[in-house]
Amino acid sequence: MKIDNSLPLEYSTEENRLKILGFWIFLGAEIMLFGTLFASYFTLVDRTAGGPDGAEIFKITPVLIETIVLLTSSFTIGLAIHAMRLGKKKAMLAFLGVTLLLGAGFLGVEIYEFVHYVHEGAGIQTSAFTSILLTTLGTHGAHVTLGFFWGLFILLQVKKRGLTPETANKSFIFSLYWHFLDVVWIFIFSFIYLKGMM
Amino acid sequence: MKELFPAKQVMGFVFSLILTAVALLVYFMDMSFELGMTVLLVTAFIQAGLQLVVFMHAGESEDKAAIYTNVYYGLFIALVTIFGTLLCMIWGYI
Repeated sequence: MKIDNSLPLEYSTEENRLKILGFWIFLGAEIMLFGTLFASYFTLVDRTAGGPDGAEIFKITPVLIETIVLLTSSFTIGLAIHAMRLGKKKAMLAFLGVTLLLGAGFLGVEIYEFVHYVHEGAGIQTSAFTSILLTTLGTHGAHVTLGFFWGLFILLQVKKRGLTPETANKSFIFSLYWHFLDVVWIFIFSFIYLKGMM
Repeated sequence: MKELFPAKQVMGFVFSLILTAVALLVYFMDMSFELGMTVLLVTAFIQAGLQLVVFMHAGESEDKAAIYTNVYYGLFIALVTIFGTLLCMIWGYI
């Protein structure tokens, strides 16, 4: 294995560099996945079949909390990668820990929201609108849930093995995933929630 | 402590909060649908670009060209899917 010490750890071998490129290609596919969900959402948004529409069930407070929490977690995972590049393992783990706590907080609010929707009579089978709404939000939420556990295992591994080309590479790829989820949320926030409450 | 908070990322975070606040104007102010959608489109895409460049370091390695090509391709397909669907399912019938 050829290690180039002039580059950050996560890029230090060719395999690492290619893994990062490969993950970007996966993210390209994820953009298209969420594109299809948004296409279906915009098509079905007015098909409420006598059930509630967005303006009736969306509440600004939980949505704002989710947005701020996710934006902040995207910032802290960026700081974690920055600390990692400085070789500061403790700071990196602290920022990663904060990121995961914020991720868990986001999920908590989202679960509360889903319970609220069902109480308002907007279950997944109520109308075409509620089906695509909960499918789109749920797909994003499932990604965050997966990311939470992925990040947790990376945290444990870095703690155990320290910052090596391998663990640094995994951490960096995880940070790409987490930032991407924040980008998707920005579109959900703008074109599902704010558009629905406008 | 200070070295752990690089100015570029702190500024990026502050800017993303400002963009969120601007997007919120469509909720708190009375706007026409067209104006509101314009505000949302502008803030959302700037926000996405900010994440990509400032936080995801999309342009830092020698694979920069491949990474950007791939992101633009994904975005192109997503937008064609969304607007193509709107055209044949909604707008075509008005």
